[in-house]
Amino acid sequence: MDIKVGEKDGVTVIEISGNLDGNSAPQLQERVLPMIDELSCLVLDLSQCKYISSAGLRVLLMIAKTASSKDKHCALSGLCDEVKDVMEMTGFSGFFKSYDDIKSACKALKKGGGK
Amino acid sequence: MIRVDLHPTHTYGKFKLRPGKPLPFGATIVPGGVNFSIYSRHATSCELVLFEKHAPQPFAVIPFPDSFRIGNVFAMVVFDLDYENIEYGYRMDGPFNPKEGHRFDKTKILMDPYAKAIGGRDVWGVEPNWNDIYQHRARIFFDDFDWEDDHPLEIPIEDLIIYEMHVRGFTRHPSSGVKYPGTFAAIKEKIPYLKELGVNCVELMPIHEFDEFENSRISPVTGERLMNYWGYSNVGFFAPKAGYAASGKFGMQVDEFKALVKELHKNGIEVILDVVFNHTAEGNENGPYISYRGIDNKTYYLLTPDGYYYNFSGCGNTLNCNNPIVRNMILDCLRYWAAEYHVDGFRFDLASILGRDQNGAPMASPPLLEMLAFDPILGKCKLIAEAWDAGGLYQVGSFPAWGRWAEWNGKYRDDIRKFLKGDMGMVGAVAQRLQGSPDLYKWQNRGSTASINFITAHDGFTLMDLVSYNEKHNEANGEDNRDGCNDNYSWNCGVEGPTDDPEINRLRIKQIKNAVTMLLVSQGTPMILSGDEMGKTQWGNNNVYCQDNEISWLDWSLLEKNKEIFNFFKKMIAFRKAHPALRNCSHFQNRDYMGSGYADITWHGTQAWNADWSGTSRTLAFMLCGKHAKGGTARDNNIYVAMNMHWEPHTFELPKLPPGWLWYVAVNTDMLPPNDIWEVGKEKKLRDQSCFLVGPRSVIVLVGKEPQEKKIVSKGARKARKKQLSSVRSGKGSKTKVSKPKRKERK
Repeated sequence: MDIKVGEKDGVTVIEISGNLDGNSAPQLQERVLPMIDELSCLVLDLSQCKYISSAGLRVLLMIAKTASSKDKHCALSGLCDEVKDVMEMTGFSGFFKSYDDIKSACKALKKGGGK
Repeated sequence: MIRVDLHPTHTYGKFKLRPGKPLPFGATIVPGGVNFSIYSRHATSCELVLFEKHAPQPFAVIPFPDSFRIGNVFAMVVFDLDYENIEYGYRMDGPFNPKEGHRFDKTKILMDPYAKAIGGRDVWGVEPNWNDIYQHRARIFFDDFDWEDDHPLEIPIEDLIIYEMHVRGFTRHPSSGVKYPGTFAAIKEKIPYLKELGVNCVELMPIHEFDEFENSRISPVTGERLMNYWGYSNVGFFAPKAGYAASGKFGMQVDEFKALVKELHKNGIEVILDVVFNHTAEGNENGPYISYRGIDNKTYYLLTPDGYYYNFSGCGNTLNCNNPIVRNMILDCLRYWAAEYHVDGFRFDLASILGRDQNGAPMASPPLLEMLAFDPILGKCKLIAEAWDAGGLYQVGSFPAWGRWAEWNGKYRDDIRKFLKGDMGMVGAVAQRLQGSPDLYKWQNRGSTASINFITAHDGFTLMDLVSYNEKHNEANGEDNRDGCNDNYSWNCGVEGPTDDPEINRLRIKQIKNAVTMLLVSQGTPMILSGDEMGKTQWGNNNVYCQDNEISWLDWSLLEKNKEIFNFFKKMIAFRKAHPALRNCSHFQNRDYMGSGYADITWHGTQAWNADWSGTSRTLAFMLCGKHAKGGTARDNNIYVAMNMHWEPHTFELPKLPPGWLWYVAVNTDMLPPNDIWEVGKEKKLRDQSCFLVGPRSVIVLVGKEPQEKKIVSKGARKARKKQLSSVRSGKGSKTKVSKPKRKERK
């Protein structure tokens, strides 16, 4: 898994590529959680992530919950069908705002539409 | 807090180990590793076998050092495991001496009885690799789940309307129109349907991991593959069936099922699990080694003095439920489903087996049943017994209950069926059934809530088949029609099976309505079989345990075809929910303790106050006094029900109501829609308040209403109200605007 941190229109964008599973999830957690205090809006882009495991889902949820507890807006973008399906089946999709791409996610967050 | 026991003390090859904790049993994620713990009294040694997910061969076999055993428990922490991607099992060495009850085989890889997730049958119906050395593979799964504020609903049992369903059959048919047919996720998609129907509890046929390929064979009649479709044969008690999860192929069945429970709760629907603790999928002495037999045969199974398996379940073996180890496993299991899955209750398959001692003899106070009745974690769970077993024990009315256990009331089913088809001499028994069977339960101080009333269940005919077939037609099961129950008390209304005869079809629909009306006006808890509400047929097959096909799947196009039946069910459920007088938790006292001038229940016939209890009677009526609803704690209308199961019409004289009160018709099954059932609050006033001509084989329900207080409404307010209503009808107004003049009117 590869993590790329960037910024677009004042929104922090974290692009995750590769598999998000038990091996890579702790890495994502360690990288993102300390950043949350500093940012105001966060987009986790999964357009390059083709597989997500239970551990991966849990880390995403933990990030989203931490962000929301600190009044930060957070959203997902670019979910491929497979990842979208898994999130829907397991009920995780209910916890996230999700957008087609980074651009629309950033736009929505700037309007205050994310969680 | 820094702990001092987080570091390895031993190594085995590249693996770092330390002695584990014996409790809890199973595989538990601990800081840095996984704690494996397993019981065996008679094993002489034990090895932990680790596989990568789906791998044909293990990547490690780690023997438990002698010092890692405490008592009869092998426990070990293995550090640095990628636990999301492994499967684990055990190999046990010990005596092989069937006469003594021991069947150890150190070559077999055994599944952990406490496995929380099980792989090997990840996607329903995908043919397994039969050469795989480990068929049912224990996995480790995260036990965290974001329940938010979810909590079991704790709906009083007398207020439940149970809907018994098969997870796969409910949505597997192409007509279901769901995204993930046949799965937990699909049930979630159908929640709006369940809400529309009005049920507030789903009872799921077994969802514990089982093997759909157990005893799989080709039907000599249809040429189709027969499966273990129902799943009354557990592989593991702690794991949800992977093949029922759309996400089973990703190993996420635990999360998917929890998400379903959470969503059902959000919509006011409870979840009861049908649990099968009477036997396992290991069969008799010729069956496979899956787990229990190789771990400690003598502990887990009831054995004859010669070491053969007792077969009180009819499935080859019998779980040794009152052995303290097995007893604790069952308790751990139920607590786990109640605490970790927020399940609302359990229905115990062949529960009488749970009351047999270690020699198979029935006990007066079985410790397992007592333990479950008093358990603090299960304290608010519904406990429902199928109070018989295949060994001849029949305990309907006498199941040891401690005030906690309810029963599937088999006598209710049989008596109502006989009455429905016009048998004579049933009136006395039916009167008991309609009251919540006080003849069975009152002597033990058990209320009507002890009785789960049902006319149909998964076992036996569907309701449509009950009125369409005299005999079972199970040829497709490939057992020469010998399987399945013979005592169906069914009547085909004139022709065996489907017919074009409109009169017969009309009568069948009427009989269905008669049945569901009787069910939903009975005291006790009603249970509906999924599909009956849309006239589901199984073409006369009364035992579809092996039919994973259109015989058993719910065909959703029936909803359109049998709209009349669905509407009737829906309105009848709403009727029950609207009338607390139908939902008492205590038995009637047959006296007026509220000073209303009427006893809580009174019996009538074609003559008011004079029921015909004779052996030739096929008519019965009763009236419930609304002031006695819920023991006098709730207010309701009076309710009068007249049942004429004779093939001739009969005039029923109506009991007189208090001055000013009037009778309204809620249900008349002799009428065509929309006059068969009226919406709650819109019942039709009776023109003749003194008697009612009840059609042949028909049931009527009347509500006796108090005169409404005259509302003083000003002319102006009435005008404004009228204007608002007309603007709403034309789509111009809003709801809030309508409510304003309404408030004014009340003033």
